[in-house]
Amino acid sequence: MAIGTSAMCGSYKREIQVGIHFWTTHSRGDGSSIAADTYKVAMFTNSASIDLDTTGYTTGNEVSGTNYVAGGDALASVTLGLADASDVPVAFLDFADTTWSSATITNARGALIYNSTLANAGTAGTTTHAAKPSVCVLNFGGDKSSTAGDFTLQWPANSATAAIIRIG
Amino acid sequence: MFEASGAAGVGDVMVYTSDNSGHSPEQMADMALNRIMIVSETAPPVIRDQAIAHRDKLKEVLIYYMKSMAQSERTTIWALMKKQGHDDMAEIIRRL
Repeated sequence: MAIGTSAMCGSYKREIQVGIHFWTTHSRGDGSSIAADTYKVAMFTNSASIDLDTTGYTTGNEVSGTNYVAGGDALASVTLGLADASDVPVAFLDFADTTWSSATITNARGALIYNSTLANAGTAGTTTHAAKPSVCVLNFGGDKSSTAGDFTLQWPANSATAAIIRIG
Repeated sequence: MFEASGAAGVGDVMVYTSDNSGHSPEQMADMALNRIMIVSETAPPVIRDQAIAHRDKLKEVLIYYMKSMAQSERTTIWALMKKQGHDDMAEIIRRL
C-alpha cells in the first residue's frame, strides 16, 4: 500500500461533467442560487491506499496529532481562473495556503482533496458519486513532519501552467 | 484528456514544516517567491540564469523585511505585556 503519484481522480472528471461539484456559488439568472460546496484537504501516511482511482475520502491511515483534526482542513479563498497555455484554454483553481499551526504531525506522505459537503453517496442521472467524493491525490515525495510547529501546504502559483487543479 | 488539445492535471504542492517554532523568515520568503515568480525550466539558459539571480536578490530583500516584521511584532507584544504588568513575560519576548 502506498500513496500514488499526484493526479486528478478519475471519478472527479466524470462528476464535473454532470455538475456534481460547486467550488463557488452558482447564481442563476432566475434569482436562485446554489451554494458553494466545502472542500477539504486531508493528509495520509504512506500506508494509505489512495491514488487516481480513489473515489472518496476515507479515514484509513490518515495522519493524527496535536492540532490536526481528522478529515483535514477546509480549503479557503477558492478562485477560478481561465487562461491559455500553448494556445489551449485552461480553467484552473487556486486556494489560500493551508497551515496547521502549533501542530505535531508525523510522516505525512500525501493528501487527498475532497468535497466534504457531499457527505453521503448520491447520483446525478446515471452517475453515482461516493460519500465525500475525491478531487485529486497529492504525493509529497517524502514523509513530512512537524513537532510543535507549523505544517503548511503551499499551493502552486495561480496560473494555467502551474495551478493546483487544471483542466485544459 | 478532456479533448484532443487539452489535459487535466494537478500542480506541485510545496510542503513547509517547522519544529518547536513557527516558519522561519527564510521559509516565508521562499513561499512568497513561489507565488511571485516562476522560473521556467525550459527558458533559454541566459534568461534563466538572470531570472534565478533576480529571484535570489528578491529573496534577500524579503528575508530582511520578514525578520524586521517579526522583530516589530515582538515589540508590539512586549509593549502590550508591559502595559498589562507582565514584565517578566515581556522580557522573555524581548529576548527572543
